[in-house]
Amino acid sequence: MNASSSIPASDARVVSYAQALLETMDSAMAAHSNVFLMGQGVDDFKGIFGSTTGLAAKYGSDRVFDVPLMEEGMTGIALGAALVGDYPVMTHIRADFAFLAMNQIVNLASKYSYMFGGIMRCPMLIRLVVGRSWGQGAQHSQSPQATFAHYPGLTVVMPSSSQSILDMYPKIINRCPGPVISIEHRLLYNLDFTVAGKSARDDSLTSYVLRPGRDVTVVATSIMVLEAMRAASYAAERAGVDVEVIDLNSISHPDWDLVFNSVRKTGRLVIADTSWLEYGVAGEVVRQIVLRNPSVLKQPPSMLGMAPAPCPTAKSLEDLYYPSLHDTVNGILVQARGPEHGVELPNEASMADVYKRFRGPF
Amino acid sequence: MTDHDQVYRRLFRSALLIRLVEERIIELYPSDRIQSPVHLSIGQEAVAVGICDALRPDDLLFATYRSHAFYIAKGGRLGPMFAELYGRRDGISGGKAGSMHLSAPDVGLMGSSAVVASAIPHAVGAAMALKRQSGGRIAVAVYGDGATEEGVYHESLNFASLKKIPVLFICENNQLAVHSHLAERQSYRIVEHAASFGVPGRRIDQGWDMLAVRKATEEAVAHVRNGKPYLLEIMTARYMEHVGIGEDFHFQYRSRTEIDAWKERDPLIVDQALVGELTAELIREIDAAVAHAEQSPSPQRADLLTDVL
Repeated sequence: MNASSSIPASDARVVSYAQALLETMDSAMAAHSNVFLMGQGVDDFKGIFGSTTGLAAKYGSDRVFDVPLMEEGMTGIALGAALVGDYPVMTHIRADFAFLAMNQIVNLASKYSYMFGGIMRCPMLIRLVVGRSWGQGAQHSQSPQATFAHYPGLTVVMPSSSQSILDMYPKIINRCPGPVISIEHRLLYNLDFTVAGKSARDDSLTSYVLRPGRDVTVVATSIMVLEAMRAASYAAERAGVDVEVIDLNSISHPDWDLVFNSVRKTGRLVIADTSWLEYGVAGEVVRQIVLRNPSVLKQPPSMLGMAPAPCPTAKSLEDLYYPSLHDTVNGILVQARGPEHGVELPNEASMADVYKRFRGPF
Repeated sequence: MTDHDQVYRRLFRSALLIRLVEERIIELYPSDRIQSPVHLSIGQEAVAVGICDALRPDDLLFATYRSHAFYIAKGGRLGPMFAELYGRRDGISGGKAGSMHLSAPDVGLMGSSAVVASAIPHAVGAAMALKRQSGGRIAVAVYGDGATEEGVYHESLNFASLKKIPVLFICENNQLAVHSHLAERQSYRIVEHAASFGVPGRRIDQGWDMLAVRKATEEAVAHVRNGKPYLLEIMTARYMEHVGIGEDFHFQYRSRTEIDAWKERDPLIVDQALVGELTAELIREIDAAVAHAEQSPSPQRADLLTDVL
């Protein structure tokens, strides 16, 4: 799959997700002396899976530093520093640990602007990494986009590619007025993507069409965008179904008109999210469409997400727990042809294995 | 007049203003003009004025839901404060904050939070940023004794000590968390506990004595400006109920005699000569602020969704 077919060959280059993160961290710190980076292990030899490696040596321990195990305190410290002009970038190597900081994120950071009537603001970027595969289990695998997007005052994004990071982060750091939570995906870190030399997208902080199509709309988040692209290719090759893929990209502020107009065109909708369906992103997508005009949907949509249980550790269960390529293709074909579509589905037991083998470029 | 007398008079005036403001709130409250919870500082004024007088105007302070005293002591203006309590457009925050979230960033009050202990790390973070800006400014975290039981307080002490952050921790110890006595809640002593993190500090028993608080704060601030955290535990007394405008001795969870002992030493009660001399002028100030609030419009639908992000 190629997420960037419109990029002129002369500008194109191959950049891994981790490398894109490192580039954006580095260039933000070089451009803005008020940017600092903190988090557990941010200055160590692993450098948050390669996304901060070398920055402590380059910018000094005042600006890139490890922290004690104090998620709430560290978030409060970021808030206080932001109030006096610093721009904090915080990392959590697993998103699950952000729950320890819920008080500061939800009760304080999300409300600082509104609660004080706009006379103070606390801009910051909080980077969360979602784990998946190799037995991450119940507490290293959660994907909390719906949780955070529920609270007014937070901006929540989920970059699905190197391009998305290179486009978005420079528009977030020192630009967005309030706290931004970016939910990154661990399985994307080592993937290579072809990217444009320079961002051309005006919509980098909202949703965009990654692949235009006529028959079925797939709205996807994070790594499910890649799955949607693979499924779209499969459905086109095997069944001649023309799929439109929308990367929701921004969870808190998607381009709902873009989504609605796509569904108005296709009448058929698949939603593929990285978290649970209950009270989640998928439900919100449907709510937005139904509020505009429920009759654009020719039939009930298909929804893909994690099974309604905590994540199991055993690989056999984990492979059942997450939606597979099989499920994504089936969702598309059910929409296009009905449940008796009769098309042979891909036989791929474990998506994680595919992404670990895959060396791109995408 | 000696310097000492001048300082006393300045502090007394500020403390008396706070008390008169809160007595006006008590007077107004039954009229429902102030439709939000109020946590009164009556009895604790000396702490706020003693601390704020020892700070530079550009030092930053983070406070709690019981912050009328700190707002006024730090130099916040009364007109916008009353308008805020009234929920009016000319309030500090256009009515979105109310009594529990007073702030005055122009004079260094950077916010007050109603979630106990949650503003403590903000002071640490602000002080960390100020240290990098190297202008000699410090930040102050003000919190109650109950806040020392929260995890984030321990995290904040550790980080401030570890990174040598110029932050002053001020524990206003009124020995009550809502209606729970300190002895039922704490297995440690606040100063000793902070010392175990390498944060030195001292306890001031004379929390009614504005000059004693000021002197202790001056010494503490000198230490903090040298680049290290410090803690002051200041014993004080909440005369009124936790939230609201009444007394609550009839519930018998505490005795009136405890508070009477504080009142016998309270300069705002004892020094009636100065009270008599200053009151009329301060009442005029308060009248003007209340009039400002009364004539200010209420926020409207157009204001509902502003400043969310």
